Amino acid sequence: MKYALFLGCKIPASVPAYELSTRAVLGRLGVTLVDLPFNCCGYPVRSLDREAFVFAAARNLALAGAAGLDVLTPCKCCFGNLRHAQRFLDEDPALRQRVETALAAERLALPAGVTVEHLLPVLARKVGLAAIAAAVTAPRTGLRVVAHYGCHALRPSDVTRFDHPLAPTIFEDLVRVTGATPVEWPRRLDCCGEPVHDANPSLSDRLTQAKVDDARESGAEVLATACPYCQMRFTEFQAAGSAAPLPVLLYPQLLGQALGLAPRTLGLS
Amino acid sequence: MSASFLRMAFLVSLGLCALGLLWRVSAWLRVRIGPDARDIPFHQRLLAAVRGTLATLVSRRTPGVLKAFVLDVFLQRRLFGGSRLRWLGHLLIVNGFLLLLVMHALARLVTAKLYPDYASTHDPWLFLRNVFGAVVVVGIVMVVAGRLRRPPSPPRPQRPMDRVFTALVAVVLLSGFLLEATKVASPKAFYRMANEYIGSTDPEELLPLRLAWATDFGVAFPDLQGAPDPDKLAEGRELHHDACASCHSPPGSSAFVSYPISRVLAPIAEPLDGIDADTWLMYLHLAACFLGLILLPFTRFIHVLADPVSLLANGAASAGPLSPVGRANRRALAIDACVDCRLCDDRCSVAPIARSLGNPALLPSHKLLATHAVATNPRWLDRQAGHARRIAEGAVLCTTCGRCTDRCPVGIDLADLWVAGRADLARAGQPSPAQWVRERSALDWDEALAVQTAAQNPVGPLSSRRETYSACVQCQTCTNVCPVVAHGGEEPGGMDLTPQKVMNLLRLGMIDLAIGSGMVWDCATCYQCQEHCPEGIRVTDVMLELRELGYRRLGDTRERRQRE
Repeated sequence: MKYALFLGCKIPASVPAYELSTRAVLGRLGVTLVDLPFNCCGYPVRSLDREAFVFAAARNLALAGAAGLDVLTPCKCCFGNLRHAQRFLDEDPALRQRVETALAAERLALPAGVTVEHLLPVLARKVGLAAIAAAVTAPRTGLRVVAHYGCHALRPSDVTRFDHPLAPTIFEDLVRVTGATPVEWPRRLDCCGEPVHDANPSLSDRLTQAKVDDARESGAEVLATACPYCQMRFTEFQAAGSAAPLPVLLYPQLLGQALGLAPRTLGLS
Repeated sequence: MSASFLRMAFLVSLGLCALGLLWRVSAWLRVRIGPDARDIPFHQRLLAAVRGTLATLVSRRTPGVLKAFVLDVFLQRRLFGGSRLRWLGHLLIVNGFLLLLVMHALARLVTAKLYPDYASTHDPWLFLRNVFGAVVVVGIVMVVAGRLRRPPSPPRPQRPMDRVFTALVAVVLLSGFLLEATKVASPKAFYRMANEYIGSTDPEELLPLRLAWATDFGVAFPDLQGAPDPDKLAEGRELHHDACASCHSPPGSSAFVSYPISRVLAPIAEPLDGIDADTWLMYLHLAACFLGLILLPFTRFIHVLADPVSLLANGAASAGPLSPVGRANRRALAIDACVDCRLCDDRCSVAPIARSLGNPALLPSHKLLATHAVATNPRWLDRQAGHARRIAEGAVLCTTCGRCTDRCPVGIDLADLWVAGRADLARAGQPSPAQWVRERSALDWDEALAVQTAAQNPVGPLSSRRETYSACVQCQTCTNVCPVVAHGGEEPGGMDLTPQKVMNLLRLGMIDLAIGSGMVWDCATCYQCQEHCPEGIRVTDVMLELRELGYRRLGDTRERRQRE
């Protein structure tokens, strides 16, 4: 199993532990990762210029296509955005034409069948829950974990095809396979608050507060994420508060612990 | 030209250079970039710089500094990682120039003191001068070739002073080689020396020596053609051995650059002597050197000083995080340390977006200049008529991925500069669109648009098609599942619109009322509405499209208002 690893911009700069733990876990499970000279997925410009966003995404798809690889990204926003770009390219032939011309100027071409995958479905469906379970050597038995789904991977389901949009189970399944106990919580599918952080900080704080409160009330010991933006939001929001923070773990960190990987290789001190 | 005049000119140039340097270096403590730098007084920054310098020399940071000196300053390791060709070229230029400076330009102060029998026309000095000059020329060719091999990208505007300085460097190199070549071929120079050391200028009396110099040294005597008389030549060579050899090596092999040039000049050696070409070339060579020295502090070549400081400060900072005062100093220093090599642009994560938007303001090399200008000149942004929004776009769309910082060959913390610059821009009236949209209510924007634009609403691919929203039955499902509506009710005055009302405005053709609404710009893009819509309307995608329309239309209106 081989993928082009799309880290995006946030992971290397702000959440390096996500890259470390993703590489460690996938390496242990036999997934090969290839680094390509990718650029920004286009997410930041999505609100300002549709064509620039689609071009940025298409350029990444073209790079993966030229290498003959599918894309694996640990970032849910990059994931959703790359998938959205594919949709816009499919439904707007004029746009597709302009993007193809711009790519041709760089001797690149839109590939036919590059699939963009998020880390979680690759683990749950490509590697497989059974294979992961077989590799677990240090199960996290008894640890109560709430899984935060992250909007841009889950919805809109006709674009992302991540899991059932209203009753997903993939993240809880992946928590269970580490030996930990997935905890039911009403707000598991809600927004983390990050996307409105710049536009409206107080609204963003209320969204995050509601999530963290809900996780606590549900009796969780750990909040698990699988997106750098959600991870940063929960970490930074709690760091600014006075209460003792609910520990936030990136999923591959949780899994890595269960696989018996050294904390250092997972970005855990 | 008398030696005293020369010394005077040199000292005056050196003095002016020192004053210029003082001015530029003081900017590293004066320039304030970022809101956190605004309230730090000069004396605190001076103190931090002095303290930092002392700590660099003796502290636990010393090993890091030593490592930085050897690897980063001397071997330019960071440039090696960026472009091998430009690394080698730059190394040749720096070292070639340094050696020329010490051995040749400062010969009286350095070389002659170390080697009392120093003579500029004797080996190894004659040979080495040609080697170092050639090394610099080869280095320049490599660096230029490296730049030309970059993918094409919009050039950064150059300061006129930089062009002047570059031209001066070319003049220094060219006049240096030409001067040497002219002197090699010049009969006049021969007679001047003969007069001084033999006491004769009589062509007949000097014939044996002239034959030796024409044959062995390439002096172009017009009257000496054909094969020389072997006896006279031998006599001349003997005289040369006694009178000249201690100061002169044969240039044919030593001056491997200027000797071939002298062969080209040989046929016109007499007319060149007639106009005292060697004297004028010397004036030109020295004038260009002195002028270059005076101008250096005001060009981007100030980086010869700023870069080692930046890299050494990096080495020192590797032992621990920088204080806020230290950060303020580093940002100011960064402006002078930038060489405009543009390796950052090649790595920039949003460079393809810059290309697609046709907006070079997104590129780090351009953004550095804008960041400096916005921080130091409050009126600058106002003067960028029509471009202020594009400059702001550069700041807003930066993902602070840090690739530019990783790539910068002189170790500038560019990502930190962008964060600071973004805050300065916001202060100067250019915050992110999601923030400036809030300056007015949706109704106000709508009115402003109605007054100022008569043209038909430009609409996006989704909002322009009735089928996108015509199926909406106003069932309110989108509103009921919206987290922004649920939590936005706690805003003063509540949410202005709800998703379902936005869809209704589209149906009514009142798009201008929607594009400035809090609902559209506060949308969390969580796609709950779109996922739940029983009619399959792409509510969130429409919201994002409305933002794009709002950014363009409201941005135009806002710019017009700011200008008025």
